Amino acid sequence: MKDLIFFIRLFKPYQNWLISGIVLSLLTSLGGIALFSLSGWLVSSAAIASLNVIHELSMSFNYLQPAAEIRGLAIIRTLSRYGERVVTHEATFRVLAQIRIWFFAKMIPLSTGRLTLLRSGDLLSNMTSDIDALDALYLRLINPIIVATIGLSIVLSVIAYYHWLISINTLIIWMIASILVPFIFNRLGNNNAKAIVSLMANYKNQQIELTQGIRDLILFQAYSSFQQKLLHISNRLIETQRANQRLTALSSALTLLISSISLLFTLILISNALNTESITSPQAGLLLFCIIAGFELITPLSPAMQLLGKTQQAAKNIREVASLTPTIIEPKQAKSLPSIYDLTLNSIYFRYSESSAWILNNLSLTIPQGSKIAIIGNSGLGKTSLLQLLMRFFDPQQGRILLNGIDYREFHSEELLQSFALLSQRTQLFASSIKANLLMAKPEATDEELHQALLLAGLDNFIQQLPEGLETWVGEHGVKVSGGEARRIALARVYLKNAPILLLDEPTEGLDSETEAQVLATLAKISVDKTVIMVTHRPAGLEWVDHIYHLSEGDLKLKLLK
Amino acid sequence: MLSSVSANQAAFEQRQLTEKQAKQWLKAREKTVKAWIYLAAIAGVINGLLLMLQLAVFAFILQQLLIERQHLFAHLDALNFDYSQIFSGLFQVYPLLNPAQNYLIPAMGLWLIAVILRSIMIYLSQTLGFEAAAIIKTDLREQLLSRLPKIESAYFKQHSAGELTATILEQVEALEPYFSRYCPQQKLISLLPLLMIIAVWSINWLVAVILMIAMPLLIIFMALIGISAAATSRQQFLTLTRMSGYFLDRLQGLTTLKLFGQAQRELLTITQVANDFRLSTMNVLRIAFLSSTVLEFFSAIAIALIAVYVSLTLLGLIHIGPENPLNLQQSLFLLLLAPEFFNPLRQLAVFYHDRASALGAANLLIQLSQAPILTWSTTPLIHETNYCLELNQVSKSYHQRFILREVELQIKAGEKVVLIGDSGAGKSTLLRLFLGLETADQGQVFINGQSVNSTIASEQIAWIGQQATIFYGSISDNISLFNSHYSSDELLTAAKAAGVTEFSDGLTKGLNTLIGERGYGLSGGQVQRIALARAFLKNAPIILLDEPTAHLDQETKNQLLNTIEQLFKDKTVIIASHDPEVIARIPRKMTLQNAQLI
Repeated sequence: MKDLIFFIRLFKPYQNWLISGIVLSLLTSLGGIALFSLSGWLVSSAAIASLNVIHELSMSFNYLQPAAEIRGLAIIRTLSRYGERVVTHEATFRVLAQIRIWFFAKMIPLSTGRLTLLRSGDLLSNMTSDIDALDALYLRLINPIIVATIGLSIVLSVIAYYHWLISINTLIIWMIASILVPFIFNRLGNNNAKAIVSLMANYKNQQIELTQGIRDLILFQAYSSFQQKLLHISNRLIETQRANQRLTALSSALTLLISSISLLFTLILISNALNTESITSPQAGLLLFCIIAGFELITPLSPAMQLLGKTQQAAKNIREVASLTPTIIEPKQAKSLPSIYDLTLNSIYFRYSESSAWILNNLSLTIPQGSKIAIIGNSGLGKTSLLQLLMRFFDPQQGRILLNGIDYREFHSEELLQSFALLSQRTQLFASSIKANLLMAKPEATDEELHQALLLAGLDNFIQQLPEGLETWVGEHGVKVSGGEARRIALARVYLKNAPILLLDEPTEGLDSETEAQVLATLAKISVDKTVIMVTHRPAGLEWVDHIYHLSEGDLKLKLLK
Repeated sequence: MLSSVSANQAAFEQRQLTEKQAKQWLKAREKTVKAWIYLAAIAGVINGLLLMLQLAVFAFILQQLLIERQHLFAHLDALNFDYSQIFSGLFQVYPLLNPAQNYLIPAMGLWLIAVILRSIMIYLSQTLGFEAAAIIKTDLREQLLSRLPKIESAYFKQHSAGELTATILEQVEALEPYFSRYCPQQKLISLLPLLMIIAVWSINWLVAVILMIAMPLLIIFMALIGISAAATSRQQFLTLTRMSGYFLDRLQGLTTLKLFGQAQRELLTITQVANDFRLSTMNVLRIAFLSSTVLEFFSAIAIALIAVYVSLTLLGLIHIGPENPLNLQQSLFLLLLAPEFFNPLRQLAVFYHDRASALGAANLLIQLSQAPILTWSTTPLIHETNYCLELNQVSKSYHQRFILREVELQIKAGEKVVLIGDSGAGKSTLLRLFLGLETADQGQVFINGQSVNSTIASEQIAWIGQQATIFYGSISDNISLFNSHYSSDELLTAAKAAGVTEFSDGLTKGLNTLIGERGYGLSGGQVQRIALARAFLKNAPIILLDEPTAHLDQETKNQLLNTIEQLFKDKTVIIASHDPEVIARIPRKMTLQNAQLI
């Protein structure tokens, strides 16, 4: 529960919207209930009045005022329904943005370092669906619960004003129908709901494996057995959903049964009250219609109860991730970056966790500004870790990294990052235009600069081919960009960023020889006055560097090859 | 300007077309489960009829309590006091059991029967619809999964595994509420309101007329507003998906954003984007909500009109409508029925977004079921030949660019060939032709004199790619690909021969170690060794390798090449590679350049 309360607190800036939504919802419901009760009262009164033998009495019955009130309530009901819809949705959208912004801000310090330790691809997409689940928090959970609580209190007080026993009886019916029955069935359906989630996840994993390895499976004649496995999971999923559907159906059938039978008790009580003349006939009509219409308030509670568990879990998941600590601690008073970029690594010891073996073991290295070095080593031996340390995604457990003689820990990490440009095997293209993707590296870049970058990266022909040119949308839902083209876009970004230190992580991996040559030539061009640190497993094509180091498995130390 | 208008027009027409297609597709599915949908609808209609009975009985009881009671009190006075003393406690709380009023008991019994039957009908209507959806979901998954291996491999390059999985899992799921709730409700709505009007007509034709006027008016208004409302509920759905898509995209690229010092700025952009989304969506929603307002308006006005008309008639103040006057039971019945009359329509409006998401899902499912598939001629060519693998005047092009142009190739059984060429030159395409994963535009591809198709290829060839797919399971599962007919001895031999045991022996669980997504991480060389073991275990006469050493370092590469030489010395082998060391080891060299084999 405290996880939900945490998020409700986040909504504070929009409390006026949220409260207006609740007030309008309440007005809609109460308007409807009042309309129906008053109608019940009017019809019963009219019937009684018409029985009264003396005709004049029925003539003297004041029907004008209630008739006008009924018309007024019908209009209030209609208008507030519209207002309620608009305002609650407006509030939902505002809240939705708020949660996303909050989460994004939390992720900024975590993204480098902490998240790379987790399986972040999956984690983030799970987080996104958890945040989507929170969208229901106001509209389906908070709003109906508050409206029901206030609305029911008002309705029950009105009933109690006429007859307290009927009020208590009604309270009990409503509690059973809105809380007890959904609660019991939620409990019963809990295991099914969990099974459905895990079967879905299971199906998803297996289907992804099947699709990714479809060629292996076909060629090794294993596809049909995999297909059977998947269909089997799908059948189990449907079985479980069926069981759940039956429970839900049973729950609504039972709710109807219980509320109808208890309405009989209400009838008995009303009859008794009529007998003892503690209420009049028109009042009885009013009370009964009020109770029938009151069910409108409790209908949304049952789905709200169903959502509660799911939303709570989502809130818990999100908070868990948001409360992770960054891998590095920012200094209280950050030093500003020096103008000279000499890098020194002083007997570095590094590993990702206490239990694992050292990845870097007493490593020392000096990289003066403007020098160009390559680090060769087999895959999985800490080359990437070394780059991550240089960008201060992590701090080494022992030893120090110094920039112009100042310890890394004294700079603000985001500021420090601005000294580096990275070109790696993987290019992150955002779902935006190519132009926006380039401007990411230098928002204030002029058209002339962009043009220069495209030319250098060998992208000019590619862009000219596209009917929308630089405005072409890439990334998800956009034009598919080949690996080579993506790398060239990354290269253009590196040029635009114009950082003093260039980090190259297998920059030509997966490229054909033509593109590889072009990328290397461009790199040589743009790195003339810059420090270059390249890690690779291929010793070929390194004529342009000053020093080549070998990061070997045995001693985890750097060996100077050149 | 003009061109952009026509482009918009074209886009609009295209959307209309896909929407129409999606509707037809859904209709066609619906036909296959018609029986279940109608059964669910019938249960719903019976529930509605029972509801009317319940309301009538309720009104009757009220009539007895409120009106007839005045005559009953006289009888009460004449009651035998002894008799009443015995049950006095009971009478005070439950005076309904008072013998003088006990004709209410049959009414209560009837009420109870109606309620119990209604509960059963509600249960049925909610479970029968599910069966319709269950059949459709199972059928669709079966169809899609059977179709998947036949789809051209180019399709898999354009659509990620995640995307296809989402279609087969989530989009199929998205159809469920449409078939289980929306369709039955749609059938119900064409009958139940009519039955209700008939019931009302038998009591008072004027009230029936009020409802009859309200209903078509309501439908017209709903349709007018609904045209935009349909687009809207879709719009809202799209907005949410786009919003979270955008968010996920930026979240996943956060490291890159930070590297460019753009993380804080992106925070502002996300705020801006969320606001834009909100404004544009709210503009559409404001119109869409009119439809629920209209529904509310008619429902509220009907209640108000009926209440006022009925009470004025009771009072004898107006004399419009039928001659015979209303009594309280009839009046209350009419009043109670008024909101129920609009309820089915209200339900349908609630289920409306099921339809929108089903249409969206249908679009994606149609796309997948129309993905181009490989077709083989039904009469395979057979010719006498000494060659194991042959290409006869084979041409293949992508996007009007020739990858292979009239290529000739003959390879004898047992021969080893290296296929040289830059990446993108068409080496993989050539191998895929033999593997039956692609078809030639022109010419013939033969394996042992038989024209190739996917069945022959998968029997005759073992294939090793740049990086084998590792499935979640043990190492031995990954060697046998979950085929249970291999003995553990056979598995062990293959694992030994391919050098898998060299690293698996160091693991505590050996070949039973779990690998794949959630298991022990393997290095590139280890993955390729498992691929070799797979191929060895399959023991096919032909081995095709597509750049098997691409992701490996020097040392691992040499070891792997030695193993390859040893394992497949008796087989027919083609290796595609541009690695000089691989090329140096193989005697027969062929280079693919400008779509020609030299």
